[in-house]
Amino acid sequence: MRLGTRKLIDRGMTALGIGSIVLLAAALLVFLAPIVVRGLGAFVFRGTIEYRQLTLEKFGRGDVDAVEAEQAEAVEARRPVYEMLSAYKKELADGHESLDEAKKQFRADRKEMRRHEGLADQQRADAQAELDRREAELDRRGEQLAKHEASLVELEELIRELLGPEPGQSVPVLWRDQYGQTRWDRAQVKLDQILNVETWVDQDDPDQPRVRVLVPRADAFEGTTLAPLFPYIENNAEAMLLPRLTFYWRFLTDTSFDAHFFGGIWPEILGTIYLTLGAMLFAVPMGVVAAIYLVEYAREGFLVRVLRTFINTLAGVPSIVFGLFGLAFFISTMHVSPSKSVLAGSMTLAMLILPMVIRASEEAIRAVPATYKEAALSLGASKWWAVLTVILPAALPGVLTGIVISMGRAAGETAPIIFTAAVSVGKPLWPWEALSQPTPALPWNIYNLATEHEAVDEIRHVQYGMVLTLVLLVLLLNAAAIVMRARISKKLRA
Amino acid sequence: MTENTLHIPARKTTLPDRKPAPAAPSRVHVRAEEFSVFYGQNEAVRKVSFEIPAGQVTAIIGPSGCGKSTFLRAINRMNDLIPGCRAAGKLLLDENDVFGPRIDVTALRRRVGMVFQKPNPFPKSVFDNVAYGPRIHGVRGRTRLMDVVQRSLRKAALWDEVKDRLPQNALGLSGGQQQRLCIARAIAVDPEILLMDEPTSALDPQATSRIEDLIGELRGNYTVIAVTHNMQQAARISDFTAFFYEGDLIDFGPTTQLFTNPREKRTEDYITGRFG
Amino acid sequence: MVSSDRLVPAGRSLLLSYRADRMRRLGSLVGQSILLLITSSSILAVLFIFYFIGRDAIPFFQAEGFREFFTSADWYPSGDPPAYGALAIFYGSAMVTVGATLVAVPLGVLAALCLSDILPFSIRQMVKPVIEILAAIPSVAFGFFALVVFAPLLQEHGGRLLAWVGWLVGGPLAVLGVVVLSDLATAGLPEKLRAAGRGAIGLVLAVVAFVGLARLGDFFHGLQIVTGVNALNASIILGIMALPTVVSVSEDALQAVGRELREGSYALGATRAETLVRVVIPAAASGISAAVILGVMRAVGETMVVWMASGNAAHVPEPWYDFLASVRTLTANIAGDMGEADQSLGSSRYHVLFAMALCLLAVSFALNMLSEWAVHRSRKKMRGQ
Repeated sequence: MRLGTRKLIDRGMTALGIGSIVLLAAALLVFLAPIVVRGLGAFVFRGTIEYRQLTLEKFGRGDVDAVEAEQAEAVEARRPVYEMLSAYKKELADGHESLDEAKKQFRADRKEMRRHEGLADQQRADAQAELDRREAELDRRGEQLAKHEASLVELEELIRELLGPEPGQSVPVLWRDQYGQTRWDRAQVKLDQILNVETWVDQDDPDQPRVRVLVPRADAFEGTTLAPLFPYIENNAEAMLLPRLTFYWRFLTDTSFDAHFFGGIWPEILGTIYLTLGAMLFAVPMGVVAAIYLVEYAREGFLVRVLRTFINTLAGVPSIVFGLFGLAFFISTMHVSPSKSVLAGSMTLAMLILPMVIRASEEAIRAVPATYKEAALSLGASKWWAVLTVILPAALPGVLTGIVISMGRAAGETAPIIFTAAVSVGKPLWPWEALSQPTPALPWNIYNLATEHEAVDEIRHVQYGMVLTLVLLVLLLNAAAIVMRARISKKLRA
Repeated sequence: MTENTLHIPARKTTLPDRKPAPAAPSRVHVRAEEFSVFYGQNEAVRKVSFEIPAGQVTAIIGPSGCGKSTFLRAINRMNDLIPGCRAAGKLLLDENDVFGPRIDVTALRRRVGMVFQKPNPFPKSVFDNVAYGPRIHGVRGRTRLMDVVQRSLRKAALWDEVKDRLPQNALGLSGGQQQRLCIARAIAVDPEILLMDEPTSALDPQATSRIEDLIGELRGNYTVIAVTHNMQQAARISDFTAFFYEGDLIDFGPTTQLFTNPREKRTEDYITGRFG
Repeated sequence: MVSSDRLVPAGRSLLLSYRADRMRRLGSLVGQSILLLITSSSILAVLFIFYFIGRDAIPFFQAEGFREFFTSADWYPSGDPPAYGALAIFYGSAMVTVGATLVAVPLGVLAALCLSDILPFSIRQMVKPVIEILAAIPSVAFGFFALVVFAPLLQEHGGRLLAWVGWLVGGPLAVLGVVVLSDLATAGLPEKLRAAGRGAIGLVLAVVAFVGLARLGDFFHGLQIVTGVNALNASIILGIMALPTVVSVSEDALQAVGRELREGSYALGATRAETLVRVVIPAAASGISAAVILGVMRAVGETMVVWMASGNAAHVPEPWYDFLASVRTLTANIAGDMGEADQSLGSSRYHVLFAMALCLLAVSFALNMLSEWAVHRSRKKMRGQ
């Protein structure tokens, strides 16, 4: 082969390698970017007057006078909407009235015609045709009215979703019905729904999927008194909702209301903390002791080989199998709790991270120079005393690093807690309740809200906020581990 | 031969002037009788028999792999840490067999302190390093510990240099200081014997000479047994010298005699640099 | 101040009494036994897992037998009569795993090569955290990304995306292939004709490659992707999740090869690529295969990503290689069906999920043994036996 070709292959390989690394970094970036950007949307967003009103009324936060002033302003801006609606309703009512009158007239005329016996066939036929025409016209008017009424109902529903219930109406039960859109981004989506009707149109080729077409809703109200409503809403949406930049850091510490439509994610965060700490409580002592035994006491041989094989096997068990096992063993057999509980979930998670803790601690203990142990023993220390006072303290940063990384793993695991600990909705628990009660947890609720919630699209910001919180939690733990490890290597070099 | 060639001085050992070793044969402190150490099948020390006198400095010399460190580490049973290591014959410390059945290893190691090849202070403060041993052996209370620490550091000629740095991490000391700290740490438990496994091999010449001076000062209070592969050092510091070669004890006697008038041909060959 | 010379209490006698000696031995024995007991809890855990999963799996096989479960693709556990054919689900698991392996292994091994042999130390230090972060991100976050971000993207622009990827990957590879092939083809020609021959053959090959790529691109572009939650989506995301495992384990294997071997190859005039392909990779082969197996294990056992991204359709795609179809995997089926099966505790519907878990367990156990064997072999090789 030519030298040039060989060099080209060499360069090609280098490029492929670097390309794969770039791809790796790009994958991370592509993943993190939407999570971070949209996740921040749970904390920082443009909140409407509805949001401030809700915060004031339900959470007791905010300046009463300011909110009332804003509210008055918004009500003023909204008045034309309701005036136009009531004017249109009146028009419809008038339409009904005139239609009823026309129908009465028609029925009278028909009766009249039937009474005239002596009409010529030609005349009779003409009159009948005239009557048919009038009847059709009446039906058409009736249909139109019904259609307008249906459209009005739909429109009113949409406006209620955007602005909240009309002033003076009875207060609905659900929070989401009591207020309009609290977030400007969601309000714009609703606004779009008000202005345009979404329809799906078949393509010429029946195999092709249907195409989405937007039709202005104003078309349906062409020529009615409601026609000016649409430009008015479009132009005055800001005045009606008064969006302001809002920082909602309490997203982390508020409990959720109305199926996560409002409030924060504190129960989930707390549940995750309980589960993680609980898992560490079981796994760390066992893992560290096992590591000490493997490094300091066990003699290489059959027993250690078996131990290692089993530890590796445990590390390879699929996480969902841990979940089933937790259900079958901790709950159904051991009855640690009547049904799902934080305790059962923690124990299951502990089994999952035990191999990680053992491996990390083993590595850290192995990294302690043998001279430390020799020095301690030469001073007359017994073996366990040397382990306790010299080896463990020297290995501690390394052990902690491993523990912190496993904590991240425990915090993010979902499959083991589905059957053992997690529920979709729940209050924040007190520590003693954790022994017997299930809890919401970040990983499970991300899944749950993203797939099984009744209004998945409306609470995207909550989902993103949860994902961001979980990812940040795990990454912070890992960053702490990286910093710790850098410190250790620095210390060992010094 | 070009002019750039380094001039290598002939290896010739000279004995420095110093006070002669006490003439009277003193108490025997460690006695080996047909003592062997095995690593698995490999016999690292082969049936050596000799007596190490108390209160003197005994050097063990020999080329690397000759079993000198293995023998040294047998005296306080540090070899126990090596899997597959066992001993045969007798190694007596004050008439107690070190490898006997009911020996309390911790008590043994307390009596037989050790200083290692590389300075190995714990990653703790200077104070905690020296106080580590006394704490194990039941010294409690800050003032009492302070007394022990101060006395040990003075004996190790380190007190003046570290008295203001007691709470600082010992790993911040220089190599020579660390090694003297290790000596202080070993002294702090009041051992009778100090084993030194090439204590200066990781140090620069200046630090080495300070350690050597220190060993001279320790003579009399402690039985010092030092392994070294530096013959000048053995000549400088020791009263008695044992020469090991391939697991066998070739020669043992007063240092002056061994270096000036070796009985064995191999000893002579070794100390004049024919091999090693 | 203590005036006595002896500040440390005098040591005990070297010799212990018989009683003390016995106590010491006993204490050491008891202490070590306790440590061993705690350590063997991992053995106990594994045995318990096998036992309890097996215990709840056996009633299913007793009631329904093996045949339907392993050979039928009809999965209607809630039907009347219920059908428990898990073949389609096994197939889904296999498909997604193969897809993820196809993504993770080439990328992962190349990245590991790059980390161990190509990049300078300083850049390597920067890349390592990227891999660690990738490894640390919880699977449910990846699943969320797959469902909410990637699936709509795939559904709307999937064809264009695939066409781009085809050009991006195929283009450079085609250039390289054309140059190498034209060089190889003209190796036998006399010196004078060689340059001209290379040019001619290269041109022909380039045209062929370009046309092929263009047709591939058109094919991708014309694809109609009915749903974004499909085997392709799950495979890609799962592959990215398995990447860190593959990269770090194979990098360790490559590092363990040692400099002497590499320097020997360079000294003979080999280029870096030749050194890597002919010397380093064969030497690290068992370690790399262990990495691949561990990556596969990660993919087989993963739940959340496949549950959210694969579409959960329990049927074998038509045609069988259609990665754009929705599939269902064992893990996702267990997670998804347990919610309903929970109420019918003790029914076949409940036990069948344990039967699936038992299969998963068996597969991961076998893979684990395989990887241990590979690691063992690579260690032996490194020691030169």
